[in-house]
Amino acid sequence: MTTKQRICITVNGVRHEREVEPRLTLVDFLRHELYLGGTHVGCEHGICGVCTVLIDGRSARSCLALAVQADGCDVTTVEGLRDGATAQLHPIQQAFVEAHGLQCGFCTPGFMMTTLELLTENADPSDDEIKEALGGNLCRCTGYESIIASVRLAARRLREQQGA
Amino acid sequence: MAIKIPTLPEQLPTTQPRFVGKEIKRVEDPGLVAGTAAFIDNLSLPGMLHCAILRSPHPHARVVKVDVRAAEALPGVFAVLTGEDVRRWANPAYTAPEGWGGYCIAVDKVRFVGEPVAAVAAVSRYVAEDALELIEVEYDVLKPVPTPAVAMAADAPILFEERGGNVIQSRVYNWGDVDRVFAEADHVVGNTFRWNRVGANPTETFGCICQWDTVDNALTCYGSYGTPRFWAMGRAMALNLPTNKVKVIPQPQGGAFGGKGGPRGTDIAALLSRKAGGRPVKYIEDRMEYLLAGFGQSWDRHYDAALAVKADGTVTGFRVRLIDDQGAGAEGWGTISVAKPLAAFTGSYRIEAARYDTVLVATNRAPTGPYRGYGPPPHFLVLESLMDMAARKLDMDPAELRRRNYIRPDQFPYTIPSGNEYDSGNYEAVLDKVLAMSDYRGLRESQARGRADGRLIGIGVVSTVEPGVFDWNAYATVGVQGIGVPEGAKVAFDMLGNLTVVVGFNLQGQGQFTVAAQVAADYWGLDVCAVKVASASTDIAPPSFGQGGSRLGVAITGAVLGACEKLKAVFCQVVAHLMQTTPEQVELMDGRLRLKANPQVGMSVAEVAGTMLGRSDLLPPGMEPSPEATFVWTAEGRTMPDDQGRCRSYLTGANATHVVMVEIDRDTGRTDILKYFIVDDCGTRLNLANVEGQLQGALAQGVGAALYEEYVYNDEGQPLVTTFVDYLIPTIHEVPMATKDFIITPSPVAPLGAKGCGEGAIHTTPAAVLCAINDALAPLGVEITETPASPHRLWKVLRQVAER
Amino acid sequence: MKPASFDYHAPPTLAEAVELMARLHEEGVDAKILAGGQSLMPMLAMRVARPEVLVDLGKIKSLDYIREESGAIAIGAMTSKRAAEASALIERQQPLFHAATKLVGHRQIRNRGSVGGSFAHADPASEYPAVALVLDIVFKAVGPEGERTIPAGDFFVTYMTTSLESTEVLTEVRLPVLPAGTGWAIQEFARRNGDLALAGVATTLKLAAGVCADVRLAAFGVNATAVRLTGAEEFLRGKRPDRAVLAQAAAMAANDLDEPMSCVHASADYRRHLIRVLAERCLLEAAARAI
Ligand SMILES: Cc1cc2nc3c(=O)[nH]c(=O)nc-3n(C[C@H](O)[C@H](O)[C@H](O)COP(=O)(O)OP(=O)(O)OC[C@H]3O[C@@H](n4cnc5c(N)ncnc54)[C@H](O)[C@@H]3O)c2cc1C
Ligand code: FES
Ligand code: FES
Repeated sequence: MTTKQRICITVNGVRHEREVEPRLTLVDFLRHELYLGGTHVGCEHGICGVCTVLIDGRSARSCLALAVQADGCDVTTVEGLRDGATAQLHPIQQAFVEAHGLQCGFCTPGFMMTTLELLTENADPSDDEIKEALGGNLCRCTGYESIIASVRLAARRLREQQGA
Repeated sequence: MAIKIPTLPEQLPTTQPRFVGKEIKRVEDPGLVAGTAAFIDNLSLPGMLHCAILRSPHPHARVVKVDVRAAEALPGVFAVLTGEDVRRWANPAYTAPEGWGGYCIAVDKVRFVGEPVAAVAAVSRYVAEDALELIEVEYDVLKPVPTPAVAMAADAPILFEERGGNVIQSRVYNWGDVDRVFAEADHVVGNTFRWNRVGANPTETFGCICQWDTVDNALTCYGSYGTPRFWAMGRAMALNLPTNKVKVIPQPQGGAFGGKGGPRGTDIAALLSRKAGGRPVKYIEDRMEYLLAGFGQSWDRHYDAALAVKADGTVTGFRVRLIDDQGAGAEGWGTISVAKPLAAFTGSYRIEAARYDTVLVATNRAPTGPYRGYGPPPHFLVLESLMDMAARKLDMDPAELRRRNYIRPDQFPYTIPSGNEYDSGNYEAVLDKVLAMSDYRGLRESQARGRADGRLIGIGVVSTVEPGVFDWNAYATVGVQGIGVPEGAKVAFDMLGNLTVVVGFNLQGQGQFTVAAQVAADYWGLDVCAVKVASASTDIAPPSFGQGGSRLGVAITGAVLGACEKLKAVFCQVVAHLMQTTPEQVELMDGRLRLKANPQVGMSVAEVAGTMLGRSDLLPPGMEPSPEATFVWTAEGRTMPDDQGRCRSYLTGANATHVVMVEIDRDTGRTDILKYFIVDDCGTRLNLANVEGQLQGALAQGVGAALYEEYVYNDEGQPLVTTFVDYLIPTIHEVPMATKDFIITPSPVAPLGAKGCGEGAIHTTPAAVLCAINDALAPLGVEITETPASPHRLWKVLRQVAER
Repeated sequence: MKPASFDYHAPPTLAEAVELMARLHEEGVDAKILAGGQSLMPMLAMRVARPEVLVDLGKIKSLDYIREESGAIAIGAMTSKRAAEASALIERQQPLFHAATKLVGHRQIRNRGSVGGSFAHADPASEYPAVALVLDIVFKAVGPEGERTIPAGDFFVTYMTTSLESTEVLTEVRLPVLPAGTGWAIQEFARRNGDLALAGVATTLKLAAGVCADVRLAAFGVNATAVRLTGAEEFLRGKRPDRAVLAQAAAMAANDLDEPMSCVHASADYRRHLIRVLAERCLLEAAARAI
């Protein structure tokens, strides 16, 4: 039997302290210990990107990280996108709804988290830059066209918001 | 009372539809983008255990001994299930044809790599997987049957000994005088084709939570079930329960594209729950399990086919011999995919006579299941490739050859040789539109210039018919019984006039909740967001099938409209009684029940509903105070198949023509898609964005099948593609963004004129891409007739040229 | 797909990590180093790797740096690939390494995956080992016996195996600055964008008076480790890099390869052929860059 470890992870601004087995993956920790079910699991071996979250502001596959590795880190999940006070959808979420960037929605949190990182770095990405950024996220439903449109729309909205 | 369902949007009781046929935001999306949708793995129940399944490493072996003592002794393990339990408690899977199914856990032998041999329920999935490592299984390895050729050999090892052989079904269909048209043909173009296994691979795998009620001897299953009633019935049969004692609660699903549901996984979790004294047991199939043994492998085909063609380009005959590798039995319902092409055998063309010679074979590969299109996509790849070969032989433009053979608009309804009736269409208009949109002539010119520079550029122009709105009779030829696929909806107003539509399925991605909400909203003059669409479990839902067969959008429209019509009739009676007139004098328009003669006078829908529930004294004597109605829709006019399988089966025939331009890299064999154009006609488009999304998504899967995806097995029957590293789902870089347009020929027989369109472009894209590739290769005198046309395969083809 | 049990340590300093590894080794404990986890985690999940203890280098801040040091670029082993990608210094001074970095996986992989991890992992399909051979990258490792440097030529042993001792920690990767005027290129062939390569070639090409003075050529994705293609390198020495000569060199490079690996996506023959195609393209590209 292995020793459990005490960890402290800040998720969407909230500190969580837990004792966990070292082998617990970050995605299982988020989903099954913190009940943040918005981060999904599609392959558990790093290919599909469905489990994408931000770790210290950087997009990462949460199936390829251990919860213990994220000790002391700041994690952002899809649940952290909405406005905490008003529960309003984030402009990225709004854009995915308006530009039909989803069908089943299972891949969508991963795409939106990667988009969040992209738009933080680059407020006005070209289509090629969008493709390059999203190349590690698989979607089986949409054929990606509407996802690109959603990211474009989100970028525009965020720019307008910043300008205002 | 016969209910008349509107066949055009204009017939809705609204001055101007606000939602039907518009691009509107989907009602299901806010929860999905917020991350709050209740996918199965987000659910947990008190006391829940987690299941892991031990799977066979051998394609074919006798299970001699399973020792689970060490696993049972591991702390945290609550139950271990083996073939012994299953033999006692369960039955083999029901299949069509009958008798080709295994138990949920192997009881005597395993027939494919990944077949379950034991399962554990433990406090966590981690511990359950630890326990699997402690189970010892002794196998007596048998000679594998890796291919149909081996399976059909005289001395072949037999998978299901009690069947006496490995051929599941062998049947020849003759429609018209095939031998004569081939004898009289000026040209016969024929070829062999190999379509390798591909499959659905939704981003969410299958998952369920099963709880066995040990008091009532009943079962409850929550899960990612696409067709809840179908699965509930199957569980009842497999687990020896009365059908009304199995309750299936469908959760929203992360895509499906074919049999979303896991009969073995469900039965295993259910029996583990039974063994663990009724604690709920969760089973989440992981991706490797899905790739090995999930319902994700389809269409493993060997074709030999030919067209009979006249000198002027008239195609008179089409004959197909298909050897279909079903894998280890028929438990996945892969047999249906051989039957379904009957619904559109001759595609978009007037072809006088046809023959379909089919052999369905069992091998030691994973059992095949349904995948988007369910059979016709490979069939159309064969038909359309032969059309292109005929065009080359006649030195005709492939678009013109197709035009010459199209069924003409004035010929609808049109009965094809294999028996189905196409409802409507204007194939030539679709072709003209896509040729204009793509500047087809310009494409040909740039191809000529490219060729002159030594580039391998090809163009595909491919037309197909998508059979829409399935009926069971389409699959009668492989032993499926029944006619009619009832789909129900309940439309219910509450006391304050708020509307709920109850359906028997849950979200899967195609947007059917939005379709139900838009139709109901336009019918009653409500805002689409004001309509609540609720998914009911199988014990209380109206009869329902759910998603499948490009049917649900149309069927749920029919069901909701039928219920609305029924309810409107009741509302008219109430209003007539209050206004002292007859129901015939009352009409519904824009959310008001009003007097035809004096439209200013009337009541709102909310007022009528409130009156019904709150003022029984004002109702006509004897009237039930129920502002709700249920209607169960199925397509009318479906017929019994004759001895050649001919019947009216699929209700609608949508049509599409794709134009695609590709370039092959001579050096590496890689194909790049340079341009892609689609024009389609699926009748009334209930929701523009939905249809567009389905098209683009199906295009992506078509590109996958044409160029990337493949389940590879070695000569010993071992699967070599077991991770997403090797099963190549196209990424954002590989999928072309198609230019799209459409025409609308409303279906005269379907609710609001909408044709089934959910499977869409996957019917056309693989054929279009392969035709384009062969067009590029044509000047070299070589061809490829195997999918996917991977760089490696194309390189081998190109090497033939170099070696000449 | 859940990992088997293991114990976990995340020492805050290199010294503690090295000491821990040594102690565990002495105790006969099967310990493994965890860096970004982008290769190790899938192996743990599939239970093909099942160490008893993981020693995570993630907390050792002193292993995360990129700096210029006496004509070389020193990269701390735990520096992320994204940091390498974002480094103007690397982009300017060592464009081949920069280009190779951009070919690794996707942004999520480069965010987490360390520079050192890719070398230590020594995946035959990885871009980095080939680049190491071409550039004569030097590795620094610290073990119980102290620090040592290992030249690239001695580093890669065979399939996923390096000459690092099981107790040694790779600490630094030293890239020489690319001399001005040197041509370079890296090209690979993968089924999908971002996939590990089925075959790839990296090269540098130095001209003197219009003829090849020094050419370095290495292939990846074909043999158990990345391999230098010395026959072709020699052949080119002193020759004018015109199309025909480069094509001849590429053909030679392909012929000289040991029997390539074979998988569901590419046979050995096809891989050999791809090396010829890619070597030719790479050499052309590098020649065009060289002055
Ligand atoms: C989807 C996907 C795509 C990828 N595509 C590519 C690609 O195109 N090209 C490519 O090269 N790679 C690719 N990778 C692999 C990726 O680059 C990994 O990051 C890299 O191989 C390992 O780095 P890491 O820091 O993640 O190491 P880890 O996974 O943590 O470790 C890998 C191995 O190296 C050892 N190790 C790590 N650091 C040290 C050290 N400092 N000292 C001693 N031993 C050490 C570990 O013990 C382990 O055995 C891909 C991975 C994924 C998931
Ligand atoms: S679940 Fe993490 S990448 Fe697929
Ligand atoms: S929307 Fe279903 S996988 Fe992307």
